[in-house]
Amino acid sequence: MRLNINKQRQLWWTLSAAVVVAGLISMVISWQQLGAPLRPSLDFVGGTRLQLELDCSVPGNCDRPIESGTVRSILTSQGLGSSSIQVVGEERQALSIRTSTLDVEQRTQLVNSLTEELGSFDAQKSQIDTVGPTLGRQLFTQGLLALIVSFAGIIVYLSFRFQFDYALFAIVALFHDVLITVGIFSILGLVLGSEVDSLFIVALLTIIGFSVNDTVVIYDRIRETLAQDKLNRPIDQIVDEAVNQTLGRSINTTATTMLPLVGIFLFGGETLKYFALALIVGFLAGVYSSLFLASTLLTWWRERNGQGMSPVPEGPTPGEASPDSNEG
Amino acid sequence: MQKNRSLLALILVLVIAAIVALVNVPFRLGLDLQGGSQLTLLVRPSPEVPQITSSVMEAVQSVVRNRVDALGVSEPIVQSVGTDQILVQLPGVSDPAQAERVLGGTAVLEFREETASQEIRVQLDVRIQEATQIALELEALKASGEQGQIAEKQAEFDRKREEIQALNLQLYEKTPLTGSNLEDAYPEPAQVGAGAWNVGLVFDNEGGELFAQLTRNLAGTGRTLGIFLDEKLISSPTVPAEFATTGITGGRAVIQGNFTVQDANELAVQLRGGALPVPVEIVENRTVGATLGRDSIVRSIYAGIGGLVLVLIFMVVYYRLPGVIADLSLVIYAILTLASFSLLGVTLTLPGIAGFILSIGMAVDANVLIFERTREELRAGKSLYRSVESGFYRAFSSILDSNVTTLIACVALFWLGAGLVKGFALTLGIGVAVSMFTAITCSRTLMFLAISVDDLRKPELFCPNLQNVRKV
Repeated sequence: MRLNINKQRQLWWTLSAAVVVAGLISMVISWQQLGAPLRPSLDFVGGTRLQLELDCSVPGNCDRPIESGTVRSILTSQGLGSSSIQVVGEERQALSIRTSTLDVEQRTQLVNSLTEELGSFDAQKSQIDTVGPTLGRQLFTQGLLALIVSFAGIIVYLSFRFQFDYALFAIVALFHDVLITVGIFSILGLVLGSEVDSLFIVALLTIIGFSVNDTVVIYDRIRETLAQDKLNRPIDQIVDEAVNQTLGRSINTTATTMLPLVGIFLFGGETLKYFALALIVGFLAGVYSSLFLASTLLTWWRERNGQGMSPVPEGPTPGEASPDSNEG
Repeated sequence: MQKNRSLLALILVLVIAAIVALVNVPFRLGLDLQGGSQLTLLVRPSPEVPQITSSVMEAVQSVVRNRVDALGVSEPIVQSVGTDQILVQLPGVSDPAQAERVLGGTAVLEFREETASQEIRVQLDVRIQEATQIALELEALKASGEQGQIAEKQAEFDRKREEIQALNLQLYEKTPLTGSNLEDAYPEPAQVGAGAWNVGLVFDNEGGELFAQLTRNLAGTGRTLGIFLDEKLISSPTVPAEFATTGITGGRAVIQGNFTVQDANELAVQLRGGALPVPVEIVENRTVGATLGRDSIVRSIYAGIGGLVLVLIFMVVYYRLPGVIADLSLVIYAILTLASFSLLGVTLTLPGIAGFILSIGMAVDANVLIFERTREELRAGKSLYRSVESGFYRAFSSILDSNVTTLIACVALFWLGAGLVKGFALTLGIGVAVSMFTAITCSRTLMFLAISVDDLRKPELFCPNLQNVRKV
């Protein structure tokens, strides 16, 4: 298999732009509907979430499924009518309620009236989260700050190890990966109602770490090939060659990272499901951007600045797929 | 070969040490895995303490710690986060309501003396009568089940209660005796009434004298002693005339509030722990039931292990002999990393486990880079030994650069993140660091050990279809 990355670079750029734009559109729609580009979870907007499950060891407790109407009327009588209610679980014996921030008394009162109407809950299987709105903002700004700091750190390191233009396009590729992941989760938020929590920020930072890996490996190869090139070949050939030489590694690494992630997504606990999905989306975007964007952008930039070596020969020569790493 | 042998010995020692550590040092599981409550308290400035300094934080922390200890939770964690937050972790607590009440309350205990003025007393008596009347009407309405009217009556009752509270504050005058004079507070069963509990108090010397003085003043006058908790009247006993000469001595008192045993205990805890110097607010409370945590840990670990087994199989199928070696060093990697977690006291959370599983992906990547390079060299017609050597040599700069960039992200996360985020950054960071060691040292040593064996020194074991490539 041999890819001529640079020949079709318009195509790769268009493809990426299309996905990014779709995400941006979704973020605008979501902004109008929800007041935020992504559907924010409790972590960011504050509030109380109660996850309760009926205690089925108590006889007669789990006879009938929970009716959301009953729950709704209990909440309304306590002035919490605007809360979201979900009856979950196969047997519909579990309940997930999200309300505005409740203090201890309000919460105890709510749980007590729910217990009165529905039966006793199993404390071992319940989860209660209360996050104040200020804390949510703080989490968000901290996350954003961490994102910016790692971007800056990576630019500095790559400028030092490579050159500034390498660093710049590595960051462009990173932005692309982050935008695609955020965009897809914005779409998921609109379509499936999935929310982003603080783990999502963790996922974004991991994506940065991983996808810059890929870009660095390819850039490393470009730099090496450039240094060893005695024929003064044009930059696009050198970049194509470097990408092809690292292709096997890119595919294998992505495959081996995807295996545990897909495992967690399909079979893991509820908490990690969307975390794993964010990583899957981001890593795939990361491999794509390393192979098709970071490399072609570097080529384009060097050609534009007259660093493209000798002029591009007419027509590509895909047949000459010989191993080129013969150094003296 | 000498160097190789000592490296092999080093790896062996490390692995044995790691296994010993793993057996002897248990993991610290995060609350999301073992169940429990995590509370974040925000410390707020007050008119008396306009600025939250580190000494204020220390004072609040020690009060909070006292109260946590009194709750009887095993291995609690109390630590300050940032400049004005305190993080409290209570493993195994599945009812966070009690913890919240105990930790968040300010519990200012005061003993006040009823004024001699009759005017307020009369007003108060009228209000109490009115309130009693409303309470009776409310009961009657509750039987009828008329929701709107009940709510209206309830609101009226609440208003009346507030008026009574306000009058109570006017009725009593502050005395120098407060909760700061307390030496001990404990719940004790009331003599009368089944199930009713009191809170017993023991004063220090100064408090004992003040209490004697206070009771001497009140004895026989019919005026009451007001015991206020957080500006609310809890009980208002009278002092019998027999104490008119000496007052109640001995420095002991009882708050009769018709408490339940739990309430009495909570109040005693709050009083014993001392008053918080500034108000605190609970801004976050995350409670996970024990079973819920265990369910998700088990499922996620199975999923992760399943994925890893597939990765191990893939490596052998695709990379042959080097794949076997990579698998060996991946296992060593997993053992060493887990051992560093338990030795460094890393608290394992769900995201932390995810970080660990991901770091295995990183460890695989380093091996893949090396083996791809080795194959290239083999295809270019180099000898096996030189191919392996330059595979490691050439891949090094890629491995270094890519790991350093990941570490940069980890440092940013660890530095700026909190809670779960920090745990994830730490496990991923440790994982990346250990993976550099195992990929470069372990894989390398094992690889050279392998090619020193004649039977294994066959290029086909390193790169399938090598002959075909050469023929082209």
